[in-house]
Amino acid sequence: MSLETTFTTGVGERTQLSQSRPSDQAIAEIARPLSLAEKIWNQSLVRKGLILVLLAAAWQLYAARLNNPLMFPTFSDTAIAFWHAFAQGGLGSRVLVSVKILLTGYIIGIFLATVLAALANGTRLGNDLLEVLTAMFNPLPAIALLPVALLWFGLGNGSITFVLIHAVLWPVALSTHSGFASISNTTRMVGRNYGLTGLPYVVKILIPAAFPSILTGLKNGWAFAWRTLIAAELVFGVSSGSGGIGWFIYENKNQLEIAYVFAGLLTVIGIGVTMDSLFRLLEQRTVNRWGMKF
Amino acid sequence: MATSAPLLDVQGVTIQYKTAEQLVTATWQVGFQVDRTDRLVLLGPSGCGKSTILKAVGGYLTPADGRITLDGRTISGPGPDRMMVFQETDQLLPWKTVRQNVAFALTASRKASQNEADEQAMAAIRTVKLEKFADAYPHTLSGGMKQRVAIARCLAMKPEIVLMDEPFAALDALTRQQMQEELLELWNRSKFTMIFVTHSIEEAILLGNRIVLLSPHPGQVKEILDVDLDDPANRFHGRFNDLRDTIHRVLFHDLGDYVI
Repeated sequence: MSLETTFTTGVGERTQLSQSRPSDQAIAEIARPLSLAEKIWNQSLVRKGLILVLLAAAWQLYAARLNNPLMFPTFSDTAIAFWHAFAQGGLGSRVLVSVKILLTGYIIGIFLATVLAALANGTRLGNDLLEVLTAMFNPLPAIALLPVALLWFGLGNGSITFVLIHAVLWPVALSTHSGFASISNTTRMVGRNYGLTGLPYVVKILIPAAFPSILTGLKNGWAFAWRTLIAAELVFGVSSGSGGIGWFIYENKNQLEIAYVFAGLLTVIGIGVTMDSLFRLLEQRTVNRWGMKF
Repeated sequence: MATSAPLLDVQGVTIQYKTAEQLVTATWQVGFQVDRTDRLVLLGPSGCGKSTILKAVGGYLTPADGRITLDGRTISGPGPDRMMVFQETDQLLPWKTVRQNVAFALTASRKASQNEADEQAMAAIRTVKLEKFADAYPHTLSGGMKQRVAIARCLAMKPEIVLMDEPFAALDALTRQQMQEELLELWNRSKFTMIFVTHSIEEAILLGNRIVLLSPHPGQVKEILDVDLDDPANRFHGRFNDLRDTIHRVLFHDLGDYVI
């Protein structure tokens, strides 16, 4: 009996067939829908969510047994503090302050990095300039520049922005540069064949062709900037009146509101995770879709 | 041969390039002419500078000596009036779909507005029978399909001259034969002018109406042959074999016993 007939005959007959020839049944099952439980378990969000729940539970149990809210508040206390801080404590506006400064520094940094990398792509001297500058400044932790920044720009957003630009500029310039360098000769020749030169050539050919590498740079630049920002805010940030999340954490530590400190840290983590998934989405929409993933 | 002035005139072109240690002469005093609707094939073994000449015509290389003129104007740089089709399959921009790749060529070179470009792109894609894949990204296409898109892109631009740098060399034998026939079909339909670089004697006879035979180190013109087959697609034609033997003799004459 062929496979085809097992499909076309009636249900009752098929049962009979499979009883007489068990191998037919095995082949006949070409596609079986997964059970609901399997489908749910296949979602990485579900699995990761479960891990988060387990971590929170472990935290709650351990902190409750420790019973020392000054050192290690429970998860529930932190959650309540988080809620209060957002509802009344103005944590939301602190987040806005931080994100605003961050975006300013990030965007200026990316712009400068692009200019530098484009120069380096066009001329040999520009190439040397970029290599010397990145070799010098990339290993220099941004936070180490804070004292100088304070001296030049005073206590306030100017200093933080300066330090942020430094944190973003070099890693982004470096990866953009290596991205440009890895563009195939054919791609370049195709672009020039269309008569593209100068800025249109950079924007329409070089940047998209180097995008996988640029995206990596943007991710690294973001991570550097975010850490630098929180660290810088921990040092100061009071001058602008409200201050950012870093200052929120520091303030609450001084007032021994440790649950609020944890709430602040959770916010920092939350924003980091959100940005990470945004970058992942961007990656799926661009590099993965174009088949350009390394 | 032609009564009017040739479309492309290559006169005494010597091309040299520098490596880290030395100055290498790639071609020496190369000259030939291309008339409108010609299918000129540059044929020779590797090292004969055939791709180098094509790149000079494309405007990517400047000759150390000699002149290349298109329609009387000296070529000074790359431009959309001379569209290249490369051997490499990464010549399509990976971040654009098939249709966008073709349309972008038209808009980037300011040959058409976005709407016109979209229409012309679709028309060009239809001529290479890829309309089903118009919205696919290049990395999902096979090698032959990619080359077809590159040819469609090139023809959509309606260039003065089409420059093909071994476009089928990376394809498997069956696809290659099919592509050769399709290219001839396209030519029969729109009678474009092209220079086709290859190292395959059969491909040269099949595709060219004239063949420039080059010898290597440095590249020089040995002979220019006219192909006068009534049915070029027929590979078992007696005349086809005669031509192949002639070319073989010319190309390998100097090598003597070296060739088995």
